[in-house]
This record gives sequence, C-alpha cells and structure tokens, in this order.
Amino acid sequence: MPSHDAQQPPAGASMLPGRLSRRGLLRGAAAAGAAGLAVTAMGATAAPALGSESRTPAPAARATAGPIVVHVRDARSGDIEVFSGTSQVRLRDKDLAARISRAIG
Amino acid sequence: MSSHREAPEISTDPVADSTDVYAFVSPDKPGTVTLIANYIPLQTPAGGPNFYEFGDDVLYEIHIDNDGDGQADISYQFSFRTDVLDPGTFLYNTGPIESLSSPNWNRRQSYDVAVVQGSSSRTLGTGLACPPCNIGPLSTPDYPALAAAAVHTLSGGGTVFAGQRAEGFYVDLGAIFDLGDLRPFENLHAQYGLNVFSGPAPGVNATNHLNVHSIAIQVPVSWVTGGHPAIGVWTTASRQRVRIWDADNGENVDSGPFRQVSRLGNPLVNEVLIPLGKKDLWNSLPPADDKLFAGYVTHPGLAALLPSLYPGVFPHLAALDASGKPRADLEAILLTGIPAGLIPGFENFTGPVLADMLRLNTSIPTTPAAKQSIYGLLGGDPAGFPNGRRVTDDVVAIELRALAGVTYPLVDKSFTPDAAAGKLTDGLTPASVSSPYLSSFPYLGVPYSGFYNPS
Repeated sequence: MPSHDAQQPPAGASMLPGRLSRRGLLRGAAAAGAAGLAVTAMGATAAPALGSESRTPAPAARATAGPIVVHVRDARSGDIEVFSGTSQVRLRDKDLAARISRAIG
Repeated sequence: MSSHREAPEISTDPVADSTDVYAFVSPDKPGTVTLIANYIPLQTPAGGPNFYEFGDDVLYEIHIDNDGDGQADISYQFSFRTDVLDPGTFLYNTGPIESLSSPNWNRRQSYDVAVVQGSSSRTLGTGLACPPCNIGPLSTPDYPALAAAAVHTLSGGGTVFAGQRAEGFYVDLGAIFDLGDLRPFENLHAQYGLNVFSGPAPGVNATNHLNVHSIAIQVPVSWVTGGHPAIGVWTTASRQRVRIWDADNGENVDSGPFRQVSRLGNPLVNEVLIPLGKKDLWNSLPPADDKLFAGYVTHPGLAALLPSLYPGVFPHLAALDASGKPRADLEAILLTGIPAGLIPGFENFTGPVLADMLRLNTSIPTTPAAKQSIYGLLGGDPAGFPNGRRVTDDVVAIELRALAGVTYPLVDKSFTPDAAAGKLTDGLTPASVSSPYLSSFPYLGVPYSGFYNPS
C-alpha cells in the first residue's frame, strides 16, 4: 500500500535542500569505511547482556543482505549499530554519528 | 495456553506468543518422544478472511538440554513461508480445498525444519506443507484428511507437523483471573465483601472451541538424550532485532540477528509466578539464567495469596508462608527436577543448575490410557506432569495443589498439608475439551471450524 504521508518527499530524494539524502549518507559512510575511517568494530553480533544468546536460522535463506539499517545508540559517543540480513556490527564513530544526526536535523 | 499473553510485550505479538509446550514418551510409538510447541493463542475459529498462520518473520524453536546446564544442546528450528497463488483476489481459497496441492487454496504456508547441535546445523526438511485452517464444509470438506496429509517424515527419520489444532489446554480463565476465583470453591472465596457467590459452581473451560497453532515433532529417544535419560525441554520464538515499516511498499522489513521474545518450559511459570515487572525480561532469557528468578519460585506470590483469598481454608499454608521457609519442593519441581530418593521409583533430576524446563525422564514407561491420572505424579502416575507434560495432564490443578503445599512434605516430613490443598481444581478435566484428543501424532484434536463454531 503506497504511503499517503504527503509530508515526505519521494523515495530517494534529499531530505533537505543542500544536505545529504539518507541513501547518500549511507553510501558515503560505507565508502569512508572502505577508505579507512577510524571505526572500531565492537564485535559482530554483539552479545546482549545477561548471557542470552541470539540464534540465526540454520539455512542461509535470511542471511542475504537486504536493507542496511543504522541505529545511532548514542550520538555523543558515536555508538552505532548497523544491521543487514541477519548480521549486526557495532561501531564507535563520532564523526559518522554526527553526520547522521545532522542529516536528520 | 498455560502461557498466553502472559507478558506485556508478547501480549501484543500473538504470532510469536508461545502458549504451551508438551514433552512425553509417545504412547503409541515406544522408543520415541513427542515434543509439541503451540503458538498464537485464543484463536476464534471463524478467522477469515485472513486466517491464522505462523509468522514468516518468526524463528520458532524447540530446545533440548541433555547435560543439565540449562543451555540448549539440540534445537529444532522451524521457519515458515507464505505463498499466495493469486494476489488479485481477496480469497484465502477460491473453491473447496481437497488436497494440500489444491489450486483452490490461494494462501498457503510451508516450512523448513533444521536441527542445530553445537555449531553445526542440518536441514531435516524443506518446503513442508502446513494444512489450511479449518474453515467449513464447503472450503475444507474433509479436514482430518488434510491435516493427516500434513504429517511429514523427516530426513533420517522422525515425524513432524505444523498447523492449526484444537486448543488442548483446559482452564477456567474467566474465573481464575477474576481475583483467583475457583468456581468449585467460590463460596469460600473472601469476595472482598461483595458476596457475589453463595455456593460452588462448575468450572467453565474458557479455551473450549478455540484453536491454536501447533508444531509437533516426534523423534527417537536416542536422538535427544545424552548420558542419562532425563532431558529438559522448552520452546522459544525469536524475531530479528530491527523492524521498519516500509511505508512506500506497505510492508515490514526486518533486519539483524534474531533475538528471543518468547519462552516456555513448565506451564504457568511466567503466567503466575513471575511478576509483571520481570515477565518481558524472563521471556528474553534462556533457562540457564533462571537463578535470577528463583526467588519467585521459592517464595511464590500465589501461595501467599491463597490463605487470604480463601480465609480459614489454608491455615497450614499460611503458617508455612509466614515462616519464610523457601519452597524447596517447588524449586525441585520447576527448576531442577526431582532427585532420586524423594519419591519411590521416580526421578527427573537434571542437575543443580536452576532452569525452568519441562523435565522428561525418557526411561519411565508410558502409562496405559485406562490407568492414567490427569494429576500426573500427584495422582500416582509417574508418566505425567511434572515428568514432561502430556496433552491431557491437568497442570492447573497440579500446580495449584503443589503451590498450596501438597508437595512440601517431600522436603519437610513434619508438614501436613491442609485438607483442601489436595482438592484444589478449577473444576475441569480433559472432557471439558470438545474436540477429542487423538491417540496418535499429533495428539491434539481436530481444530474447530469457523462454520460450526462461529463465535
């Protein structure tokens, strides 16, 4: 069902004039990562507190990448989670967190 | 539904809500165990136009601990997929569904089964068909045949079924959650001065004529046991960490690793022992973490309530509650299993790790149907709850009686239970379930059709 939210621009367009679109921001982030930003991986599939464990399905059916979802847990410290498929990576990148925060206004 | 809508978060997510788990040595197939995990509670049969189904976005699992550490040694994983043959119609079926491959069945579900042991996983079945929901004489004219066709043989042996069944858990929900009213004793209830009840009344099975979605698997005992015959069993449902509503495409998109959102071992633990403020946490954790909740088992709030709900009926229980002594009997029943020496000829102890699991001693033979007691071990039937759980066991009465002190003499022979403790019941039996249980796999009865059970 198509969105009827008239306040949102069409998908893929810039969020605000002169600023990065969501897709552009994430493409830039990925490129910056490849170029060697100071990204500290805090561990793939970071273990949650108290010892509970995550399970992924045995077949690879859901492991294929879909959208990439970025969760800025704490913009000040740069604590970021990135999700794709059934994977999760935790980063500490203040610059990236700041750019994402500016993109959303 | 000994665990249904039992926690705030899962009450909003019925597709991932585990309602019951059963584990028993198969009465008709010696040498095998049957594990049943039910989800999606309180299904009214007339569920159209979008009939109930498993979640394609949920990972359903049945876990087995066979070394007593409260961690899964074996996990059976079930992943579902829904296909719609013709998205241009609003119909679930466009004509009678007379086989699982009927072209008239428009929206259908299938599933994959895998088994995980340690770091390795193995696929046991792919694209296995679920039966449709039971609709009525035009849409599903021979429903038992459809359901029978959905019983599949797994790679390497074993049997599996996933689909709608009649709810087999009988309970007077309406009375019990009306401030602990047990209808057969409601004239003895304190009634808060309202004087509503003047005499006993028969129990009312709130789940009668309701359906549930059931995952059942039957495997050789040798597949699940480790060095000793007692195993721990529980079920979980997990969802991916992130869900986004893609408004442009009108669909949810999930991302990230799966995290547990629902768990069930022994009946009624998260339902009536774990407090509201901890229920969601409990659902997210494995049994190995249950030491965090042990206090709610050894000092159960419901046991403390019984004497005030029924004044003068439980003086011995009241004294026990006032003493502050921990209920080591309940800890044994629910968190460790009962060690050898407490009950002649019986044990289901898995070790000292406190973990809420159904504990099944697979070496105890099944009890012939004519000799079974729905009160399980309390009724002198060692093949019943808390030795695993059969579909007909009256777990409500068993746990009420245990909470009321019937089992405390196991750990303190000087304690005499109140006379009423051994009589507690909500007034129901397996006969309170209109759809008869089956004597063979998958054991739960034919689901109620919407046509004959419209409300």
